[in-house]
Amino acid sequence: MKKIINDPKNFVPEMLEGIYAAHPNEVAYVNGDLHCLVNARKHPGKVGIATGGGSGHLPLFLGFVGDGMLDGCSIGDVFQSPSAEQMFEVTKEIDQGAGVLYIYGNYGGDILNFDMAAEMADFEADIRVESVVAGDDVASGEPLAEGKKNTRRGVAGIFFVYKCAGAAAAKLKSLDEVKAVAEKVCANVRTMGVALSPCIVPRVGRPSFELAEDELEIGMGIHGEPGIRRGKMISADEMVSEMMDSILKDLPYAKDDEVAVLVNGLGGTPLEEQYVVYRQIHKILDSKGIKVYHAYVGEFATSMEMAGFSISLLKVDDELKELLAAPVDTPFFKQAQF
Amino acid sequence: MMFTTADLKNLLQVWAEMMGKNADFLIDLDGIVGDSDLGLTMSDGFRSAADNAAGSDEADLGKTAYGAGKAMSNAVPSTMGTLMASGLMAIGKKFKGIESIEDSELPEFFQAYFDGVQSRGKAELGDKTFLDGLAPAIEAMRSSIAAGEPITETAVKAAAAAHEGFLATKGMLAKHGRAGGRGEQSRDILDPGAAVADLLLQGFKSFIETKGK
Repeated sequence: MKKIINDPKNFVPEMLEGIYAAHPNEVAYVNGDLHCLVNARKHPGKVGIATGGGSGHLPLFLGFVGDGMLDGCSIGDVFQSPSAEQMFEVTKEIDQGAGVLYIYGNYGGDILNFDMAAEMADFEADIRVESVVAGDDVASGEPLAEGKKNTRRGVAGIFFVYKCAGAAAAKLKSLDEVKAVAEKVCANVRTMGVALSPCIVPRVGRPSFELAEDELEIGMGIHGEPGIRRGKMISADEMVSEMMDSILKDLPYAKDDEVAVLVNGLGGTPLEEQYVVYRQIHKILDSKGIKVYHAYVGEFATSMEMAGFSISLLKVDDELKELLAAPVDTPFFKQAQF
Repeated sequence: MMFTTADLKNLLQVWAEMMGKNADFLIDLDGIVGDSDLGLTMSDGFRSAADNAAGSDEADLGKTAYGAGKAMSNAVPSTMGTLMASGLMAIGKKFKGIESIEDSELPEFFQAYFDGVQSRGKAELGDKTFLDGLAPAIEAMRSSIAAGEPITETAVKAAAAAHEGFLATKGMLAKHGRAGGRGEQSRDILDPGAAVADLLLQGFKSFIETKGK
């Protein structure tokens, strides 16, 4: 293992100390616990939005706490859920009297703990909490259907949920309205990833899985969960075509539909390669008459040093377009109104 | 007879001792399908719940149970730790604002535990979980109380039913957790969660015996 770390067991707290030191006017922590991060700027009357999850995915999750997006984030060890108590501490801090919305990814440990935190908020602090669970990875479960449990993992597409719900909350919409926006984004976003090399969790010290020099895995999750196909390396255009095929099939598109695109690097893939990927996505969308409203290219949800990328498409309407265009200012993500 | 906040504190002590004594049994059982941390999770978790209750001068039955559950969830935030904590917290919500219940209401105490675990974990009866150990015990408790039997007899029957329920998980198809990933192969094994339910009822039986003396 070759990593820029000190004692592996201090990896997460030392990373957090660095973040608080670098961004003292933007983020703060509560209850004396570095793992309970909140926006340093308060916005009275606004619905508070909290997320949380394991470390190892920066900018996800804590990197999207800031004006126009999220208000708080509880942080676990690498790939581990934070505790319900930590989530509850964040909840109390970010409640501005309008209630709190939890938005997090579809993973067992996170669901248990967020549900328990919501119960604590109700029982101990009389804070109304609603939850939206994102599961956008088309490679990890059956297509979404009314009345059926979503078994898909939450991956990079959650960025769009944060973005739109955050913009709605910033406009001082009610908890029910912000929740409805988050659910609408979840219903319209689809993601698929590909991995070329594994990552190493510092305390484990060895790769979480093996992938030969000339192999890739299509559909792999951001913790190295099995994908849908392992095979020999192919060209960028071939990867993108295969992935776009699954994404476009899952949520059918018609000519003149509009999308927002997110190309997400998994941590070990250069931006240049990501733009080679975007080029092919754009071509495919063009050929189908689907318009790109806005494209994001970069690192949004990583998996330590894993090489690979994911593609997320969000089908947008006028409401979502307006929310996407709103400004954001967080330590890790800034956007001017467009 | 009444079941008071002091009784709850004693019961939690008995449960902590029970889980401590049976930690190795649970580790072995869990090692077949899980990561064998269940024995430690349960002994650490119930120990922290019991210590929290013992150290509090709260007289409210519900608040005592809730506080104990919360202490457990902080001490052991794993899946099973969170589920057991949810059971105690659900008892807390149900009995908030009172300091004792009649013995005849004890099935409702365990039902609240059951409901708390089920609403958190979303399992159904027959899914080969903790619930399959607890459900038959609650049923046995209800019929014993309806028949007018003394609480000592009720506790003996509930403990026997929980043990039967645990043994009956052999043959069930697991749908949750790591065991759920084993499909048909999971039928051959006993469910470690149901073993925890069995231990809770064995503990309840010995608590009632001691209290009667």
